[in-house]
Amino acid sequence: MHFRARTVFWTAVLWTAPVALHAQFDFTVDGRDVQVHGFASQGFMYSGNNNYLSADTTNGYFGPTDAGLNVSTKLTDNFRVGAQMYLFNVGQLGKWQPELDWAVADYKFKDWFGIRAGKVKTVFGLYTDTQDMTFLQTFALLPQSIYAIDKRDESIAHTGGDLYGSVRLKQLGSLSYTAFAGNASDSANSGYIYSLKAAGIDMTKYSGLIAGGDLRWNTPINGLVAGAAYMRQYPRGSGMCSDSPACRFLNANGEGVYWEKYRKDYTQQFYGQYTRGKFQLDSEYRRQWRDHTVFSGGAEASLDGRSWYTAATYRINSRLEVGSYYSHLFEYTTLNQVYYPNAHIIDKVLAVRVDLARYWNVKVEGHFMNGYGHTTYPWGFYTASNPNGLLDQTPLLVVRTAFFF
Amino acid sequence: MLKKPNSLLFALLAICSAVSAFAGDIKVIANASVGASSVSADELKGVFLATKTSLSDGSHVEPVLEKDGPTHEAFLKAFVGKTDSALATYYRSLVFTGKASMPKTTASDADMVAYVAKTKGAIGYVSAGADTSGVKTLDVK
Repeated sequence: MHFRARTVFWTAVLWTAPVALHAQFDFTVDGRDVQVHGFASQGFMYSGNNNYLSADTTNGYFGPTDAGLNVSTKLTDNFRVGAQMYLFNVGQLGKWQPELDWAVADYKFKDWFGIRAGKVKTVFGLYTDTQDMTFLQTFALLPQSIYAIDKRDESIAHTGGDLYGSVRLKQLGSLSYTAFAGNASDSANSGYIYSLKAAGIDMTKYSGLIAGGDLRWNTPINGLVAGAAYMRQYPRGSGMCSDSPACRFLNANGEGVYWEKYRKDYTQQFYGQYTRGKFQLDSEYRRQWRDHTVFSGGAEASLDGRSWYTAATYRINSRLEVGSYYSHLFEYTTLNQVYYPNAHIIDKVLAVRVDLARYWNVKVEGHFMNGYGHTTYPWGFYTASNPNGLLDQTPLLVVRTAFFF
Repeated sequence: MLKKPNSLLFALLAICSAVSAFAGDIKVIANASVGASSVSADELKGVFLATKTSLSDGSHVEPVLEKDGPTHEAFLKAFVGKTDSALATYYRSLVFTGKASMPKTTASDADMVAYVAKTKGAIGYVSAGADTSGVKTLDVK
């Protein structure tokens, strides 16, 4: 199907589906309950000055669009299996390619010890595992300094396993832990791979081991959660370099086999969440350190990203919720130990969410962004989609509707 | 100077009384397969937030929720600490990441009692005046 026709088709489907699909499709097989759940969302973005997320947003763009469908069942009291398919599209990212989002076999021996294996959503901070499910949130776009749409593939899921559990601490609340290890890979339509195309690099594979853990304390103060997470990554990428100035690191022709690999790559995150009645306050801080050999050994690149946000939401009534966040990204980057100019993106956001029904919501959100990060790394702004250069300020309107069952 | 602490004390007492009144208006019920005769408020919270799947006696339990209504609201306020919409969001975040199943919901006290009576390990709640024949009532400690 032609790309534009496909966009129109999916947009039409997603706007009419809420009425058709609000029922829950649960059924029984061999005496076991099988649950089926799904969601879909359709966005519209209109920005000033710069195009955002590789889409033509300065002229108004219908996206992001995404959808997921899962099936799960309990085989015994303690053993559960399930899987979810997911697709998304925004600009040049995702491109409607259905992917296995997760497929898990989960055995819980005790409340304090369980094992999940398969393709598992990564528990890391407040929203890494649910960042695609914005229908759950007040915001149409989560704070992109930490939950960047175009970097989701980096850590959103791993093929491997988790050890997890929850331990009561009597008067001190409870501790929940998750330890994970497995392989994570970027899809061919991820932000990093797209950003490399502008440098003449066609990366066909980018994956590697990730391992880490998340520890969260449900404190004795009602509604207060505090946590910390740490992850090491060992990615390797390979592909081809075609004639371009960037590829001259390889040789005079600037053509040949391209590879890159980690030297040291870790992420640490600290977070807190406070809920009182209809009010919720979230805050997270992430430091990401990436030190990689790039251009087939021709260069050493490092990235030291410091990002944080604070978000507040308030549910006014059963239909209406409002929220605001301040999201801050600051990045230091070097190539062969030469510093690039510092880069930042500061995003101030106001949002309104209207629940039209229990299974359908609409959000309207204003972003006021200052800065555009490094265009060599995916932070929403790409040189390929901004051929005339980037301006410092980006006002952005996002409207997004979602249904789920 | 003395008025402020007194006002604060009365306000706290009023809040505590309101919560107790809500809790007192509710009966926690369970299927006959559940061995325990009582449950702590902490355990209840864990069960209804899907972090606990067994009680202190080792009985496996499955939470059952009423779809809406005053009993449902009172139960959430007294024992779970989340509003109905926050709890729905919480469960969906588990379901859509493969970490739990959506709990069964029932439309009324009578439906709740009927479902709990026939479902091994089911644990739910009804208003204090509901007929709970066929299920056991758990004391909340």
